[in-house]
Amino acid sequence: MILRTDHVIGAAAMAVGVLVLALSGELPIGSLSFPGAGLWPKLLALLMIAGGMALIAGAREGEAFSAIPWSDLRHAVPVLAIAAAAVALYTTLGFLVSIALMLFGLTLLKGRLLPHAALYGVGLSTATYVLFTMVLKVPLPHGLLGF
Amino acid sequence: MEATLDSLMLGFSVAFRPDVLWYAFLGCVVGTLVGVLPGIGPLSGISILLPVTYGLDATKAVIMLAGIYYGSQYGGSTTAILMRIPGEASSVMTCIDGHAMAQRGRGGAALCISAVGSWIAGTFGVLALTLIAPPLAAFALRFGPPEYTALLVLGLVMLAYLSSTALLRTLLMAVLGLLLGTVGIDTMTGHFRYSFGMAELGDGIGIVPVAVGLFGLGEILSTPTAAAMAKHIAPRLRELLPSRAEWRQASMPIARGSLLGFLVGLAPGSAHIISSFLSYAVEKRLSKHPEEFGRGAVAGVAGPEAANNAASTGAFVPMLALGLPTGPVTAVLMAALLIHGVPPGPTLVNDHPNVFWGFVASMYVGNLMLLALNVPLVGLFVNVLRIPYAYLYALVIMFCIVGVYAVNNSIVDVWLMLIMGVLGYLMRKVGLDPAPLVLGLVISPIFEMSLRQSLVMSNGNWTIFFTRPIALTLLLIAAALLALAVLAMLRHRRDWRTKLAEEAAAEAALAESSPPR
Repeated sequence: MILRTDHVIGAAAMAVGVLVLALSGELPIGSLSFPGAGLWPKLLALLMIAGGMALIAGAREGEAFSAIPWSDLRHAVPVLAIAAAAVALYTTLGFLVSIALMLFGLTLLKGRLLPHAALYGVGLSTATYVLFTMVLKVPLPHGLLGF
Repeated sequence: MEATLDSLMLGFSVAFRPDVLWYAFLGCVVGTLVGVLPGIGPLSGISILLPVTYGLDATKAVIMLAGIYYGSQYGGSTTAILMRIPGEASSVMTCIDGHAMAQRGRGGAALCISAVGSWIAGTFGVLALTLIAPPLAAFALRFGPPEYTALLVLGLVMLAYLSSTALLRTLLMAVLGLLLGTVGIDTMTGHFRYSFGMAELGDGIGIVPVAVGLFGLGEILSTPTAAAMAKHIAPRLRELLPSRAEWRQASMPIARGSLLGFLVGLAPGSAHIISSFLSYAVEKRLSKHPEEFGRGAVAGVAGPEAANNAASTGAFVPMLALGLPTGPVTAVLMAALLIHGVPPGPTLVNDHPNVFWGFVASMYVGNLMLLALNVPLVGLFVNVLRIPYAYLYALVIMFCIVGVYAVNNSIVDVWLMLIMGVLGYLMRKVGLDPAPLVLGLVISPIFEMSLRQSLVMSNGNWTIFFTRPIALTLLLIAAALLALAVLAMLRHRRDWRTKLAEEAAAEAALAESSPPR
């Protein structure tokens, strides 16, 4: 049997439905005349399971899962890692430092020269900081260094 | 009619205030840039800039954000025509004949026809919105919880029916969105649901982190390099004016595209995308020279461009009159109004006439601004694409983080955005459309509340949905649409949606494979 994308999506939908049901244990369903907090999510979880099953049952045609190209993971994983590191440091180091480092890392990743990447990181983060905090009055997090 | 004109005058008095004009202009410029740049859609643009509007009043905020939306429809056509790169998904069809016209030295004329067509369609859309929205809102005042429940069911079924992806996949995405919408405190009983002790999740999952993650970051993660550095065909200023024959060929497609686009815009789904595909198919079918399509047919530019602009305006009707978003963009705009304490819906016209009519009037002005911006300044906007991708993608990720954090000053929201970015990336991989998920998230609280209120008011009698005429009519329409879709599925027959999607994909692939001269 060929594993198709519909099989994977259907299985994922069923897993989500089961997970929601497992997490909804204490939420009361209530009665039809006074529905409780659990009725709606449990109903939706059942729909997810039913929909997933239907998708798997009808997955005779459609794209094979193995046909999906994953070559762009080489781009996505490091980009996500750099962004996640910046987010982890966002409130600790503050906007200026964490974002400057992120911009530096991301531009370096795409083959830019080190001085260019550094200049871009520092320049853009400073300009954005000034724009948001001083012109638009949108507060950005200050870190340990106070900016 | 007289009352509508009076109200519109009130709207113009708001829209012509210098500060309001400035924000409309700002929205139009940003929107055009968003449209020009591939990888940043109107939804990411609006979501990222949402926090910037916090310091503004509701009128200016929604006028600026709406300017970004309809401005992006204009901007998307520029790169489609000059570079064969759709800056925005709805410009895919314009790539085909627009770029072919540019290769024949008629790029300026294609841009002018696209801008004028967009302006006519946009203005037609606003005119129709002016006439339709207030009576529709008055009618919707008769809606109680059962009618709203039925309307939401119809909305979801219509979304799935009109979607270019499979019905079941669309519905599953919508249900996932509805499930995400259940996170947080249950307003009827005070129960905490799926918040795992995190206070930040008590208010539920916000639309901004989800939308920015799925559409903004998700797009960046799945785009290793931008083809944006491709060569473009620079139009000369004297070539901007189309010939008399070209105007003649464009006139009827613009008229048809405007009407078709507005009607499609009223229905839930990615209306501006579907409408341009539909318009292209209609024009090709009606044309006496269908063989010219794909080789620079004027109608192939005029129709789809008019349709996507009229559709983006049409989408405002259910949002303003019923308080129902028909797509993720209108959902974010609705969130913007709610943040400013202005609930969209039937009471908006009467309770906040300045906001409603100011917004409507600003769209007349905004469309004029865009016409003035897009025709003579086209060269300037195209230059934005010279920014190397290495700098551009980093800039977008920075704005994703800043924009999401600024909404609630919550780092949990930013983590959520990253998770949604990964989900958006995976969804693109397996061919799932993220739009129904966002829509589901937005309507989930309204859907649940109206369903439970209906059951409470009928003392648990679920037949309440079938004993009230409006609710019954809406449910019957939903059932008919569902039956049609299921029938097509069971017979394994390609219905009009499949054919349209295949036709559009084939045309786009053809345009993509033909090398630029």
